[in-house]
Amino acid sequence: MAKNDQKNSASPLESTSRMLDLVPYINTHQGISLVELAGVFEVSTEQMINDLTTLWMCGLPGYTPLELMDLDFESGYVSIANAPTLAKPRSITHEEGVALVLGLSVLRSAISIEREDLIDAIESLSKRITELVNLPLALTASSDLSHEVSASVKKAISQRSGLKIAYHSLYKDEISTRVVLPLEILENDGYLYLQAYCSTAKDFRNFRIDRIQSAETAEMENPSKATPENPEKLRYEVRVVRATRDVAERFAESHLDAGTVFKGTSFSQQWISRSVFASGGAVELLTPADIRSDISRRAETILNRYER
Amino acid sequence: MSRKSERLINLTIALLATKRFITKSEIFKTIEGYEGNAESKERMFERDKDDLRSLGIEIEVGSFDPLFSDEAGYRIKQERYQLDLGDITPLEISLLSLATRAWQGASLDDAAQRALVKLNSLGIAVDEQNLPDTVPFFSESGIDLPVITRAIAEHQILEFTYRNYDLSEEVRRIVPIGLSTRSTFWYFTGVDQDIEEIRTFRFDRVIGSFAVKKGPKDFETPENFDSKEIFEGHTNLRAVVDIRHGKGRSLRALASSTESKGEWDQIEIPILDMRTLASLILWHGDDVYVHSPIELRESIIASLKELVSAHG
Repeated sequence: MAKNDQKNSASPLESTSRMLDLVPYINTHQGISLVELAGVFEVSTEQMINDLTTLWMCGLPGYTPLELMDLDFESGYVSIANAPTLAKPRSITHEEGVALVLGLSVLRSAISIEREDLIDAIESLSKRITELVNLPLALTASSDLSHEVSASVKKAISQRSGLKIAYHSLYKDEISTRVVLPLEILENDGYLYLQAYCSTAKDFRNFRIDRIQSAETAEMENPSKATPENPEKLRYEVRVVRATRDVAERFAESHLDAGTVFKGTSFSQQWISRSVFASGGAVELLTPADIRSDISRRAETILNRYER
Repeated sequence: MSRKSERLINLTIALLATKRFITKSEIFKTIEGYEGNAESKERMFERDKDDLRSLGIEIEVGSFDPLFSDEAGYRIKQERYQLDLGDITPLEISLLSLATRAWQGASLDDAAQRALVKLNSLGIAVDEQNLPDTVPFFSESGIDLPVITRAIAEHQILEFTYRNYDLSEEVRRIVPIGLSTRSTFWYFTGVDQDIEEIRTFRFDRVIGSFAVKKGPKDFETPENFDSKEIFEGHTNLRAVVDIRHGKGRSLRALASSTESKGEWDQIEIPILDMRTLASLILWHGDDVYVHSPIELRESIIASLKELVSAHG
């Protein structure tokens, strides 16, 4: 992607757009260094010099020094004068408005309701932007992140301190409390993960931040050298009874036909069992045999409760 | 150095600086860069106008003298060109800058960055003292979001192929009325033109791309529609289920009410989609028991019977 950006940055339209935005930016950042300015506009310093050189020739008809804008960048620091027509920033586009309104909406979802000052400011901004770019008021975004949790996580990372977390395991449907040493926050597939050394597993683990129920600073011993308890991957085999979208998404199998058999692996026995249950008869687990018989036994127990 | 961008900038400056409409011949005479014979100047100018419009710059066409309206004039209105969000406080600028950060690595990252540069050009100090400490992230939608938002704004029809529950593929035609994201998924809601009902679609279940078509003339957004309620259910249908104490967190997160009954809690869940709910209930095995509605209860019983006969 970076390559493409570089290529496009020299196209006449891209650079026109950028130059129009450059003038007001320099206007309020007089004396900014060439390198920093190039960074703000995400172009090379060379491209920035090209842009500035072009701008230097622009102005009102007449094009004498009186009408041209006065740009100075030879010293490596940029300043501008005599550019009143372009001095104010351009209005935002529809696309930029969408980015701002959705961004504000997701921000709002992560703010605690006590922060009325922030919520009021966000509402007022969203309203002004939607009016400005003729946007429907029908954009909403929310995030499952708890603000208290992510604040504690960030604090622990920056202070290199331990963290006691209550973590909800989806497969076990249980909340376990463990002490971890947080290392960093990662993003994968749209979820935020905390990578940490877990004192329970005696190994590094990734925790989905939206599943951390609470987090508080805790004493943490140094990571032990003991062998980590690495769970083994289970192999399973499933036969498709009915091809449904639910099965395709759950098992991440794109091509399904009734009767086909597919294989997979999982760290969790519970995940295999629960996934077969949740598929509601659309799949049949062939192996492992013990999970298979357990499914039949448990389904029967639940059924008895309904038929009592 | 680009002659073309130089000419576009000069044209923008000239059209912005003028109060009255200026004519094409005035433009050719005074603005640098229009060269060649009359025809090629003409073509150049037409293309320049289109280019500026594609950058979102509105060029007004009019006549400066209604009595001699044979030649059109052009200008750009300052108040349409310039960013005007009223009085903006340092806190608001900082919130907007935080809002753009939510897009890092996701589809509107570039647009968010461009907006941020414009906002920073206003020259307003920032207030980072009072900001929230959490910046949530957007997940990649895999779809050109402005296509949807423009269609919402202009009541256009979106035509696309959708993967149905039974994995069959169906062409849907909808006028979109809302766009939302929750957890990692992106959804859009619209009025289905064939069945004339509101439906919500998940982006990752759309196959291929959207075709944008002209919308119905008399379209009106349904009055009772509120995009904030997409995940709260259009109907009043509720499922009543028992959940074992301390279990079923993901079901409890959907509950509209909870009542403790000792070892079990009874909760009510708004039903958005019967199949999704049934599947989530089955996931929780013997920690959940369904009382009503009867269709949900019967679908659970049927699934359990299938599970027994397939695995027995």
